[in-house]
Amino acid sequence: MTVRRLFSSTIAGLGIAIFLLQLLSSGAAIYLLRTQMQGIVHADRTRQVHDLRDDLLAAYYDNGYEGLHRFIAERRGSVSNPSIFVVLTGPDGTLFSNVPARPRGVPFDRPGIVHLPQAGGEPHDALALGTKLPQGKELIVGVMTVTERGFDLAFAEAIGLTLTLTVVLALLSALLLGTVISRRVRAIADTAEALGSGNFAARFPSEDIGDGFDHLRRQMNLMAERIDMLVKQLHTVSGALAHDLQSPVARLRASLDTALAVETSEPAAEALQLARTDAEALQLMLTAALELERLESGTIEDRRRKIALGEVVEDLTELYEPLAEQSGIALTWQVEPAHVFGDRELLSRALANLIDNAFKYGGDRIALDCRVEGPWAVVEVADNGAGIPAGDRARAVDRFTRLDNARTRPGAGLGLAMVSAVAQLHGGALELSGGDVSDPGGLTATIRLPCG
Amino acid sequence: MSGRILLVEDDDRLAHYVGKGLAEANFTVDRAGNGRDGLFLATDSDFDVVILDRMLPGMDGLSVLKAFRAAGIATPVLMLSALGQTDDRVEGLTAGADDYLGKPFAFAELLARVQALMRRGTNGGAQRLSVLRCADLELDRLSRQVRRGKRKIPMQPREFRLLEYLMLHEGEVITRTMLLEAVWDYHFDPGTNVIDVHISRLRRKIDDDEAQPLLHTVRGAGYRLSADD
Repeated sequence: MTVRRLFSSTIAGLGIAIFLLQLLSSGAAIYLLRTQMQGIVHADRTRQVHDLRDDLLAAYYDNGYEGLHRFIAERRGSVSNPSIFVVLTGPDGTLFSNVPARPRGVPFDRPGIVHLPQAGGEPHDALALGTKLPQGKELIVGVMTVTERGFDLAFAEAIGLTLTLTVVLALLSALLLGTVISRRVRAIADTAEALGSGNFAARFPSEDIGDGFDHLRRQMNLMAERIDMLVKQLHTVSGALAHDLQSPVARLRASLDTALAVETSEPAAEALQLARTDAEALQLMLTAALELERLESGTIEDRRRKIALGEVVEDLTELYEPLAEQSGIALTWQVEPAHVFGDRELLSRALANLIDNAFKYGGDRIALDCRVEGPWAVVEVADNGAGIPAGDRARAVDRFTRLDNARTRPGAGLGLAMVSAVAQLHGGALELSGGDVSDPGGLTATIRLPCG
Repeated sequence: MSGRILLVEDDDRLAHYVGKGLAEANFTVDRAGNGRDGLFLATDSDFDVVILDRMLPGMDGLSVLKAFRAAGIATPVLMLSALGQTDDRVEGLTAGADDYLGKPFAFAELLARVQALMRRGTNGGAQRLSVLRCADLELDRLSRQVRRGKRKIPMQPREFRLLEYLMLHEGEVITRTMLLEAVWDYHFDPGTNVIDVHISRLRRKIDDDEAQPLLHTVRGAGYRLSADD
């Protein structure tokens, strides 16, 4: 789940990064284009304004005011453009104008932007240039810059379109990249999971592309190689240890057997018998510890297959039923069909451990229940004995822990740890409950396994 | 019962103890301290049973066993191992071992298994009989019925298999572990006298009110089904 979330956040981050980069590059392109276009248009307008003034001045110098009037009225040459305006003012007011009012702040040195008042409307922007004529008259010419507004609108549209495209493209590339990355990462994660669950022979497929992923795979393969080697060494060492430790203990027991077989005095036989019981307990502990070691390290051979958990439970109750009858314990069971992918021997052993515990520490009732709870196949072994206080339950599953009330009874203290290891090996868990307010007395041991 | 046994075990004291016990049970024992010697001895002369340690210096037990079988030596092999794990057991059995015993073991267990392997050759015919008999006890494997004299004895399926196994090995000492493996297919100790209770239940059914008891307890070893005490 966390992996999935990591991925989606990676994809989201990638998407945002791609989006920003695309936006930046498109924005820069649009901005450059707009500036260049504006420069060109501005130069064109400036030239138009100069041409207009030059034409009008030429008409004035040739024929005076009359010539100027005629030139404008005939709309010849540069005056033919409908977006131009001409204002001629004298000391007593406007002499001629084709706009409602004289614009303010007209520059006289070079064309500049002015606001041109309109009849009943927003003032238009215009590029205007004023020229002083004799007798206190002024000639103002200009070109309205209506097309620039069009430009701005077009650019705004372009920006909108770019934005939409960028979002879509960024999403697409993020999705594509994310899929490619997540597929590669998942392949790596699968192998890592196999390694984690004890299959140390698993290796990451190397493609020799030389990219970061390949480097990661190669490094992780080296790591797996090293783990594999260490585990194998450990395995050899623990096997040798078993051999080395178990043989002396076996000999000890054998010698005690030999001694017991010889007729001896009563006290000597008693002492020998005690020593033999201890030697046997030592052997059991050694075997149990080594088996637990192998279970927990996941280095046992995988013999899991699809089995009916209910049958495992029924076989075991059938095994213990005569003992229950003899001990006056009511052994009941309830079995729902449930299948798991499991090792019958190991699961039977774990359950036998729980049942044996219930016989040893429980009361006069043992109830087994096998059922399906959502994705889990659940087996419950419940007794009505003294139970385990809630605070001690976690400790009870630890290795070599023997709770106070169990200390005087035989056992290696590895039972529940072994059950827990078996459950974990199957991708499940062991839970202890009972002895609560709702269910006073007794212990309920629950093994939860994923349905197979 | 007598016979020749080859013991391949590197631990001197354990070999001595096992050898002595087997000699007391009337077996002739030859010993090899490593795999190579064991292989040499086994190819050189006839043995009735080979007891082979799994972990040996030089050539390990599994390789020795494979070499045996490759050389066409069909002698029953009982494999011993300090790793009394079920997966090792499977590995050993698939490599051609006839039985597998994890260390630590009680000598009685080893002896019972060696005797069972020894009888396999002579007693193999019983496996194919459809009616098994021991004194006036009769077990019909086809109709799945059990009779003692004229008395018909109702049996639950597992009880039937338990009795069938004991009758197939009539006269042999059968240990609790052997019963657990053969009848229940469990390779672990289910704790407290679970098997004893099954046996006493079976005994009540077949021996109660009979002049001649057939199911005997062998102290410190297991059980034996036979007409004589």
